[in-house]
Amino acid sequence: MALLPVQALILTGPARQLPQHVQRPCAREDRVESLRIPILKIGDILIASIQVNLHDASAVQFKDDLLQKIHDTRAKGVIIDLTALDLVDSFIGRLVADIAAMAGLMGSRVVITGLQPAVAITLVELGLELPRVITALNLEKGLSVLQRLTAESGDGAA
Amino acid sequence: MGQPKSAVIRSDLDIVIARTMARDMARTLGFSAIDQARIATAVSELARNIYLYAGTGTVTCREVEKHGRKGIEIVCEDQGPGIPDIDLVMQDGYTTSRGMGMGLPGAKRLMDDFSIQSQVGVGTKIVLRKWRS
Repeated sequence: MALLPVQALILTGPARQLPQHVQRPCAREDRVESLRIPILKIGDILIASIQVNLHDASAVQFKDDLLQKIHDTRAKGVIIDLTALDLVDSFIGRLVADIAAMAGLMGSRVVITGLQPAVAITLVELGLELPRVITALNLEKGLSVLQRLTAESGDGAA
Repeated sequence: MGQPKSAVIRSDLDIVIARTMARDMARTLGFSAIDQARIATAVSELARNIYLYAGTGTVTCREVEKHGRKGIEIVCEDQGPGIPDIDLVMQDGYTTSRGMGMGLPGAKRLMDDFSIQSQVGVGTKIVLRKWRS
Protein backbone atom coordinates (compact mmCIF):
# COMPACT_ATOMS: atom_id res chain seq x y z
CA MET A 1 0.00 0.00 0.00
CA ALA A 2 2.86 2.36 0.77
CA LEU A 3 3.95 2.19 -2.84
CA LEU A 4 0.65 3.52 -4.20
CA PRO A 5 1.50 7.23 -4.37
CA VAL A 6 4.72 6.48 -6.28
CA GLN A 7 2.85 4.36 -8.80
CA ALA A 8 0.26 7.07 -9.14
CA LEU A 9 2.96 9.61 -9.93
CA ILE A 10 4.45 7.43 -12.65
CA LEU A 11 1.06 6.89 -14.23
CA THR A 12 0.23 10.59 -14.26
CA GLY A 13 0.77 12.39 -17.52
CA PRO A 14 -0.79 13.58 -20.74
CA ALA A 15 0.08 10.36 -22.57
CA ARG A 16 -2.39 8.40 -20.47
CA GLN A 17 -5.56 8.16 -22.54
CA LEU A 18 -8.98 8.10 -20.91
CA PRO A 19 -10.64 5.55 -23.21
CA GLN A 20 -8.42 2.80 -21.73
CA HIS A 21 -10.23 3.29 -18.44
CA VAL A 22 -13.64 2.83 -19.96
CA GLN A 23 -13.09 -0.88 -20.36
CA ARG A 24 -12.39 -1.26 -16.64
CA PRO A 25 -15.45 -0.14 -14.71
CA CYS A 26 -14.22 -1.92 -11.56
CA ALA A 27 -11.01 0.10 -11.35
CA ARG A 28 -12.63 3.39 -10.37
CA GLU A 29 -10.49 4.19 -7.33
CA ASP A 30 -7.39 3.49 -9.38
CA ARG A 31 -8.53 5.90 -12.09
CA VAL A 32 -9.07 8.77 -9.71
CA GLU A 33 -5.67 8.15 -8.15
CA SER A 34 -3.89 8.06 -11.50
CA LEU A 35 -5.26 11.47 -12.57
CA ARG A 36 -3.67 13.38 -9.68
CA ILE A 37 -2.18 16.69 -10.76
CA PRO A 38 1.47 17.22 -9.72
CA ILE A 39 2.07 20.41 -7.69
CA LEU A 40 5.61 21.78 -7.87
CA LYS A 41 7.26 24.12 -5.36
CA ILE A 42 9.75 26.78 -6.43
CA GLY A 43 10.81 29.10 -3.59
CA ASP A 44 7.63 30.24 -1.92
CA ILE A 45 5.49 29.68 -5.00
CA LEU A 46 3.55 26.59 -6.04
CA ILE A 47 3.00 25.76 -9.70
CA ALA A 48 0.46 23.30 -11.02
CA SER A 49 -0.03 22.69 -14.72
CA ILE A 50 -3.23 20.89 -15.60
CA GLN A 51 -2.57 18.73 -18.64
CA VAL A 52 -5.29 16.11 -18.46
CA ASN A 53 -8.95 16.21 -19.41
CA LEU A 54 -10.21 16.61 -15.84
CA HIS A 55 -13.24 14.75 -14.63
CA ASP A 56 -15.09 16.07 -11.61
CA ALA A 57 -13.55 13.81 -8.97
CA SER A 58 -9.97 14.51 -10.07
CA ALA A 59 -10.71 18.25 -10.13
CA VAL A 60 -12.00 18.13 -6.55
CA GLN A 61 -8.98 16.02 -5.55
CA PHE A 62 -6.74 18.71 -7.06
CA LYS A 63 -8.45 21.42 -5.01
CA ASP A 64 -7.93 19.43 -1.79
CA ASP A 65 -4.30 18.57 -2.67
CA LEU A 66 -3.47 22.17 -3.55
CA LEU A 67 -4.96 23.70 -0.39
CA GLN A 68 -3.15 21.12 1.76
CA LYS A 69 0.11 21.85 -0.06
CA ILE A 70 -0.36 25.61 0.49
CA HIS A 71 -0.79 24.88 4.19
CA ASP A 72 2.21 22.52 4.37
CA THR A 73 4.62 24.73 2.41
CA ARG A 74 3.27 28.14 3.53
CA ALA A 75 3.39 29.18 -0.12
CA LYS A 76 2.74 32.90 -0.68
CA GLY A 77 1.48 32.36 -4.18
CA VAL A 78 0.11 29.74 -6.55
CA ILE A 79 0.07 29.56 -10.33
CA ILE A 80 -2.43 27.26 -11.99
CA ASP A 81 -1.48 26.92 -15.63
CA LEU A 82 -4.32 25.92 -17.94
CA THR A 83 -2.43 26.20 -21.27
CA ALA A 84 -3.09 22.55 -22.11
CA LEU A 85 -6.82 22.62 -21.37
CA ASP A 86 -9.07 22.86 -24.43
CA LEU A 87 -12.26 23.03 -22.35
CA VAL A 88 -13.30 24.66 -19.09
CA ASP A 89 -16.95 24.09 -18.25
CA SER A 90 -18.95 25.66 -15.42
CA PHE A 91 -17.85 22.97 -12.97
CA ILE A 92 -14.12 23.50 -13.53
CA GLY A 93 -14.63 27.26 -13.79
CA ARG A 94 -16.38 27.36 -10.44
CA LEU A 95 -13.71 25.14 -8.92
CA VAL A 96 -10.95 27.48 -10.10
CA ALA A 97 -12.82 30.46 -8.59
CA ASP A 98 -13.31 28.48 -5.35
CA ILE A 99 -9.62 27.57 -5.17
CA ALA A 100 -8.64 31.23 -5.61
CA ALA A 101 -11.07 32.32 -2.87
CA MET A 102 -10.03 29.55 -0.47
CA ALA A 103 -6.31 30.11 -1.01
CA GLY A 104 -6.97 33.83 -0.47
CA LEU A 105 -8.50 33.06 2.93
CA MET A 106 -5.34 31.15 3.79
CA GLY A 107 -3.18 34.14 2.80
CA SER A 108 -1.96 32.85 -0.53
CA ARG A 109 -2.56 34.49 -3.91
CA VAL A 110 -3.63 32.49 -6.97
CA VAL A 111 -2.94 33.45 -10.58
CA ILE A 112 -4.48 31.50 -13.46
CA THR A 113 -2.36 31.45 -16.61
CA GLY A 114 -2.56 30.39 -20.24
CA LEU A 115 -6.29 30.30 -20.96
CA GLN A 116 -6.76 29.44 -24.63
CA PRO A 117 -8.86 31.79 -26.80
CA ALA A 118 -11.58 29.14 -27.27
CA VAL A 119 -11.71 28.59 -23.51
CA ALA A 120 -12.00 32.33 -22.77
CA ILE A 121 -14.78 32.67 -25.38
CA THR A 122 -16.83 29.72 -24.10
CA LEU A 123 -16.44 30.80 -20.46
CA VAL A 124 -17.84 34.28 -21.16
CA GLU A 125 -20.63 32.92 -23.40
CA LEU A 126 -21.48 30.46 -20.68
CA GLY A 127 -21.85 33.41 -18.32
CA LEU A 128 -18.82 32.58 -16.22
CA GLU A 129 -16.52 35.60 -16.33
CA LEU A 130 -14.65 34.80 -13.10
CA PRO A 131 -14.32 38.50 -12.17
CA ARG A 132 -12.46 37.83 -8.93
CA VAL A 133 -9.86 35.50 -10.40
CA ILE A 134 -6.48 37.01 -11.27
CA THR A 135 -5.23 35.85 -14.67
CA ALA A 136 -2.12 36.29 -16.79
CA LEU A 137 -1.36 35.52 -20.42
CA ASN A 138 1.28 32.90 -19.71
CA LEU A 139 3.39 31.33 -16.97
CA GLU A 140 6.15 33.96 -17.23
CA LYS A 141 3.73 36.89 -16.91
CA GLY A 142 1.91 35.01 -14.15
CA LEU A 143 5.11 34.77 -12.15
CA SER A 144 5.75 38.51 -12.36
CA VAL A 145 2.12 39.27 -11.40
CA LEU A 146 2.48 36.97 -8.41
CA GLN A 147 5.80 38.51 -7.36
CA ARG A 148 4.22 41.97 -7.46
CA LEU A 149 1.16 40.82 -5.50
CA THR A 150 3.13 39.09 -2.77
CA ALA A 151 5.58 42.02 -2.51
CA GLU A 152 2.64 44.46 -2.06
CA SER A 153 1.12 42.41 0.73
CA GLY A 154 4.38 42.15 2.65
CA ASP A 155 4.48 38.72 4.24
CA GLY A 156 2.01 37.38 1.68
CA ALA A 157 -1.07 37.75 3.85
CA ALA A 158 -4.05 38.75 1.74
CA MET B 1 -23.63 11.03 -43.33
CA GLY B 2 -21.66 9.28 -40.63
CA GLN B 3 -23.12 6.99 -38.03
CA PRO B 4 -24.64 8.55 -34.88
CA LYS B 5 -22.59 8.08 -31.75
CA SER B 6 -23.89 7.61 -28.24
CA ALA B 7 -22.49 7.76 -24.74
CA VAL B 8 -24.22 6.47 -21.65
CA ILE B 9 -23.88 8.80 -18.65
CA ARG B 10 -23.46 6.95 -15.35
CA SER B 11 -20.54 8.69 -13.68
CA ASP B 12 -18.54 11.92 -13.81
CA LEU B 13 -16.03 10.14 -16.05
CA ASP B 14 -18.77 9.59 -18.64
CA ILE B 15 -19.18 13.39 -18.83
CA VAL B 16 -15.60 13.55 -20.16
CA ILE B 17 -16.30 10.70 -22.59
CA ALA B 18 -19.48 12.40 -23.90
CA ARG B 19 -17.84 15.78 -24.47
CA THR B 20 -14.80 14.16 -26.13
CA MET B 21 -17.15 12.24 -28.43
CA ALA B 22 -18.99 15.48 -29.35
CA ARG B 23 -15.74 17.35 -29.96
CA ASP B 24 -14.36 14.55 -32.16
CA MET B 25 -17.51 14.53 -34.28
CA ALA B 26 -17.52 18.35 -34.52
CA ARG B 27 -13.90 18.26 -35.68
CA THR B 28 -14.69 15.57 -38.27
CA LEU B 29 -17.58 17.70 -39.56
CA GLY B 30 -15.23 20.64 -40.09
CA PHE B 31 -16.24 22.95 -37.21
CA SER B 32 -13.71 25.61 -36.18
CA ALA B 33 -11.65 25.11 -33.00
CA ILE B 34 -13.83 27.66 -31.17
CA ASP B 35 -17.08 25.99 -32.28
CA GLN B 36 -15.63 22.63 -31.22
CA ALA B 37 -15.04 24.10 -27.76
CA ARG B 38 -18.59 25.56 -27.67
CA ILE B 39 -20.14 22.21 -28.63
CA ALA B 40 -17.99 20.20 -26.19
CA THR B 41 -18.73 22.67 -23.37
CA ALA B 42 -22.50 22.56 -23.99
CA VAL B 43 -22.39 18.75 -23.94
CA SER B 44 -20.36 18.85 -20.73
CA GLU B 45 -23.00 21.03 -19.05
CA LEU B 46 -25.93 18.86 -20.14
CA ALA B 47 -24.19 15.55 -19.43
CA ARG B 48 -23.45 16.85 -15.92
CA ASN B 49 -27.13 17.73 -15.48
CA ILE B 50 -28.00 14.12 -16.38
CA TYR B 51 -25.42 12.80 -13.91
CA LEU B 52 -26.48 15.14 -11.07
CA TYR B 53 -30.25 15.10 -11.43
CA ALA B 54 -31.22 11.89 -13.25
CA GLY B 55 -28.30 9.62 -12.37
CA THR B 56 -28.22 7.98 -15.79
CA GLY B 57 -29.08 8.95 -19.35
CA THR B 58 -27.66 9.13 -22.83
CA VAL B 59 -25.98 11.69 -25.07
CA THR B 60 -26.23 11.04 -28.82
CA CYS B 61 -24.45 13.05 -31.54
CA ARG B 62 -25.26 12.93 -35.22
CA GLU B 63 -24.62 14.84 -38.41
CA VAL B 64 -27.60 16.81 -39.73
CA GLU B 65 -28.29 18.84 -42.86
CA LYS B 66 -30.84 21.59 -43.55
CA HIS B 67 -31.09 23.66 -46.74
CA GLY B 68 -27.69 22.37 -47.79
CA ARG B 69 -26.11 23.47 -44.52
CA LYS B 70 -24.31 20.91 -42.43
CA GLY B 71 -24.46 20.74 -38.69
CA ILE B 72 -24.28 18.62 -35.60
CA GLU B 73 -27.25 17.54 -33.50
CA ILE B 74 -26.91 16.44 -29.91
CA VAL B 75 -29.72 14.73 -28.04
CA CYS B 76 -29.52 14.42 -24.26
CA GLU B 77 -32.14 12.11 -22.77
CA ASP B 78 -32.86 10.81 -19.32
CA GLN B 79 -35.66 9.13 -17.42
CA GLY B 80 -34.99 11.23 -14.35
CA PRO B 81 -37.31 13.31 -12.18
CA GLY B 82 -38.07 15.84 -14.93
CA ILE B 83 -38.17 19.63 -14.66
CA PRO B 84 -41.36 21.10 -13.10
CA ASP B 85 -40.82 24.66 -14.35
CA ILE B 86 -38.75 24.94 -17.52
CA ASP B 87 -39.03 28.73 -17.72
CA LEU B 88 -37.49 28.95 -14.27
CA VAL B 89 -34.44 26.76 -15.04
CA MET B 90 -33.86 28.66 -18.30
CA GLN B 91 -33.41 31.90 -16.34
CA ASP B 92 -29.85 33.09 -15.96
CA GLY B 93 -28.71 32.72 -12.41
CA TYR B 94 -31.36 30.20 -11.40
CA THR B 95 -29.66 27.43 -9.49
CA THR B 96 -30.31 24.51 -7.26
CA SER B 97 -27.88 23.82 -4.44
CA ARG B 98 -25.80 21.61 -6.73
CA GLY B 99 -25.55 23.75 -9.85
CA MET B 100 -24.26 27.15 -10.81
CA GLY B 101 -27.35 28.37 -12.58
CA MET B 102 -25.77 28.47 -15.99
CA GLY B 103 -26.05 24.89 -17.21
CA LEU B 104 -29.13 25.21 -19.40
CA PRO B 105 -29.08 28.91 -20.41
CA GLY B 106 -25.29 28.65 -20.87
CA ALA B 107 -25.60 25.62 -23.15
CA LYS B 108 -28.32 27.42 -25.12
CA ARG B 109 -26.07 30.44 -25.69
CA LEU B 110 -23.23 28.22 -26.93
CA MET B 111 -25.41 26.49 -29.55
CA ASP B 112 -27.65 27.68 -32.45
CA ASP B 113 -30.80 25.65 -31.72
CA PHE B 114 -32.01 24.49 -28.34
CA SER B 115 -35.24 22.71 -27.47
CA ILE B 116 -36.28 21.05 -24.26
CA GLN B 117 -39.12 18.69 -23.38
CA SER B 118 -39.60 17.52 -19.85
CA GLN B 119 -42.29 15.77 -17.88
CA VAL B 120 -42.19 15.37 -14.12
CA GLY B 121 -41.66 11.73 -13.20
CA VAL B 122 -40.96 10.73 -16.81
CA GLY B 123 -37.76 12.41 -17.90
CA THR B 124 -36.13 15.14 -19.92
CA LYS B 125 -35.06 15.40 -23.55
CA ILE B 126 -32.90 18.25 -24.79
CA VAL B 127 -32.00 18.69 -28.46
CA LEU B 128 -29.13 20.98 -29.45
CA ARG B 129 -27.92 21.90 -32.90
CA LYS B 130 -25.01 23.91 -34.20
CA TRP B 131 -24.67 24.80 -37.87
CA ARG B 132 -21.37 25.10 -39.66
CA SER B 133 -20.57 28.63 -40.78
